[in-house]
Amino acid sequence: MTGDPRPDGGVTTIVEAPVEQGRLANVADIRTIAGIEYRLAVRNRWALALTAVFAAFALGLITFSGASVGPDGFDRIVASLAVLAVYLVPLGALAFGYDAIVGAEDNGWLQALFALPIRRWRVAIGTYLGRAIALVAAIAIGFGIAGGMLIAEFGLAEWSTYTVFMLGAIALGLSFLAIALVLSSLAREKTHALGGALVVWAWFVLVHDLLALGVIAAFRLSDAAVAALVLSNPAGVFRILVLGMLGAGGDAGFATVMSAAGLSYPVLVAAMIAWIVIPLIVAGVLIQRRRL
Amino acid sequence: MKITIEAVEKRYGDVVALAGPSFEIPTGSTFGVLGTNGAGKTTLFELLVGHDVPDAGDITLGGLHAADAGPKLRQQVGYLPEQVGFPPLLSGREVLTVHARARQLGPERDDRVAEVLETVGLTEAADRKIAGYSNGMRGRLGLAAALLAEPPVLVLDEPTAGLDPRGVETFHRLIERVSTETNATVVVSSHVLSEVERLCDSVAILHEGTLCAAGSVDELAMETDVQSNITLRPVDDAAERLWDVLGKYGSVNEQGDRLVLTCPGERLLELLGELANADVDGIEVSEPGLDTAFHAAIDDTVDGSSGVADV
Repeated sequence: MTGDPRPDGGVTTIVEAPVEQGRLANVADIRTIAGIEYRLAVRNRWALALTAVFAAFALGLITFSGASVGPDGFDRIVASLAVLAVYLVPLGALAFGYDAIVGAEDNGWLQALFALPIRRWRVAIGTYLGRAIALVAAIAIGFGIAGGMLIAEFGLAEWSTYTVFMLGAIALGLSFLAIALVLSSLAREKTHALGGALVVWAWFVLVHDLLALGVIAAFRLSDAAVAALVLSNPAGVFRILVLGMLGAGGDAGFATVMSAAGLSYPVLVAAMIAWIVIPLIVAGVLIQRRRL
Repeated sequence: MKITIEAVEKRYGDVVALAGPSFEIPTGSTFGVLGTNGAGKTTLFELLVGHDVPDAGDITLGGLHAADAGPKLRQQVGYLPEQVGFPPLLSGREVLTVHARARQLGPERDDRVAEVLETVGLTEAADRKIAGYSNGMRGRLGLAAALLAEPPVLVLDEPTAGLDPRGVETFHRLIERVSTETNATVVVSSHVLSEVERLCDSVAILHEGTLCAAGSVDELAMETDVQSNITLRPVDDAAERLWDVLGKYGSVNEQGDRLVLTCPGERLLELLGELANADVDGIEVSEPGLDTAFHAAIDDTVDGSSGVADV
C-alpha cells in the first residue's frame, strides 16, 4: 500500500496494492472465507446441533443394541452404526450445506464477497472448507463419544475397525456436503435448494441401491456395470467399504455383490474421494457462472 | 482512474438491459448514473466491476478491461452493490476484517478498520452483532467496506436507499469528503435527483438501456428546451414598459403586483442584461435543474425526437 490514510479516516488516495498471485493468494483467500464460514457455523449452533444428533443416535444405538461381549458383538454394533450413519450423515450434511451459497445470496453476503478481489471459485471452496471443518468435528465428536464407550466396553483390540468406520462416515459427510454445495450454487432460491437436497437424500439413501439391486437381479450385468452401479452412489460406497471390512457381505445386500464385482478398497476409497472432489469442481464452475 | 464505456450491449434473453451507451467518466469526478427502473443502471455497474461480461462493446477502467480483469479490477474498485448484506451473527468489525484480508491490507489492517468505522460513525457498534444493526447502520457498514482500501474508483449502487434522513446526510458528507480530499472517481446511481445534483459533477441519464443524455448538470439543464421562469416586481408605473420588454422574450403573466415571464433558458442572460437598468424592485430567476433535464431527456428519448446523446 502506498496510500496515506488520514488520521480522521478520510480517504486520500490509493494504493497500488501488491496483489498476491498464484497459490499464495489462493490459500490466503480460501483461508479467509473458510475461517468466517467456520465461525458462523459455530455461532449459529449448526456444529453443536449436528454433534448432539450424531452422539444421541450413536449412544442410543449402542445402549439398546444388547450385543454380546466379544469381537462379534463389537462388529455387529459397528455394522448397526454404519447403517445408521448412511441415513443420518448425508441428511445432516445436506441440511447443513444446502444454503451455503443461495442463503448467502439471500442475505446479501454473497454480493459483498463477490465485490472483493477474490475469484469466485475460491469463495466456493472456502465456504465448503469452513463448513467441512464444522461437519468433520461434529462427526468425530458425535460418533467418537460412542466409540469411546465401545472401546471401554470391548477393549482396544478393535479400535482400527472403529477408526475405519469413523473415517468412512467423515468421507460420506464430506461428499454429501459437496453435493449440497452444488445444489446451493445451482438454485435461485433457498426452498429450491432444500427441495433438491431432500430429493438427493431420498435418491442416494433410499432409492438408488434398491433400484440397483433390482436391476442386478433382473439382468445379467457385467462386472464393470455392477461396479459402476456401486460407485455411482457415495452412500453405497460407504456401506460396502465399512460392511465389507466387517465381513458382513453375506447378509448386507450390496456387499455380496462387491466381491463378485472385484471392487477393491483402493477403488472404493478413490471413488469416495472423487465424490468429494468432482462436486466441488462442479460447484466452482457453477458459482463462476452465477448471475446475482 | 478514468472509466470509458464504449457501445456496451447486454441482453438477458429477450430483455435488452443495455443498448450500446457510450460515455466517459473522468478521473476524480463524482458521476451520477440516473434512470428509470429497468434503465440498466445495475447491469452497467455489474459490467463495470466485472461481475458480468457485455455481449458487445467494452468498459475500461484505467486501461483495465472490465470483462477479463477479474480480481485485479476489483482490487481497484470499491463496490457497494444495491443488495449488499452481511451475516447477522458477525460483528461490523469482523466483516471489515474479512474485507481487509481479502484486499490484502498489510499490518495496518486493524488501524484502517478502526479508522473507517470511525468515518462512518460505527465505532461504538463495531463489536456488536449485525443482527442488532438498523438499516442505516448496515448501509454505513457497506459504505465502510467500500471505502476500506481507499480504492481509486468507488461504485455505489443506490447507496442511500433505505437510509433515514440523518443517514443520508452522513452519506452525502462522506462522499463530498471523498470528492474534495481525494482523486477517487466516484460513480453513484440514485433515484433521488436532488442527491445527484448535490453530489455529482456530471451525470448520464439512461432509459431502457439507452443513453438519453450525459454531461455536467448545468450543461444538461441548459440543453433542455424547458423554459426558465423570471418573476419581477415593477416599481410604480413601470409595469407597462416592462410588459413591452418582456414580451420580446416570451409569455408574460401578471400575478398580483408581480410579472412572471416564461422564456427559453438560452435567452436568459440577454434578458437580464436588458433589465439591468429597468425599474424593478426585485428579480427571481427559476432555472431548470436536473429534475427538468432528467424528464426532458427521458421524454425526448421516448418520443424518439432525440437519438443517442452526443457525448
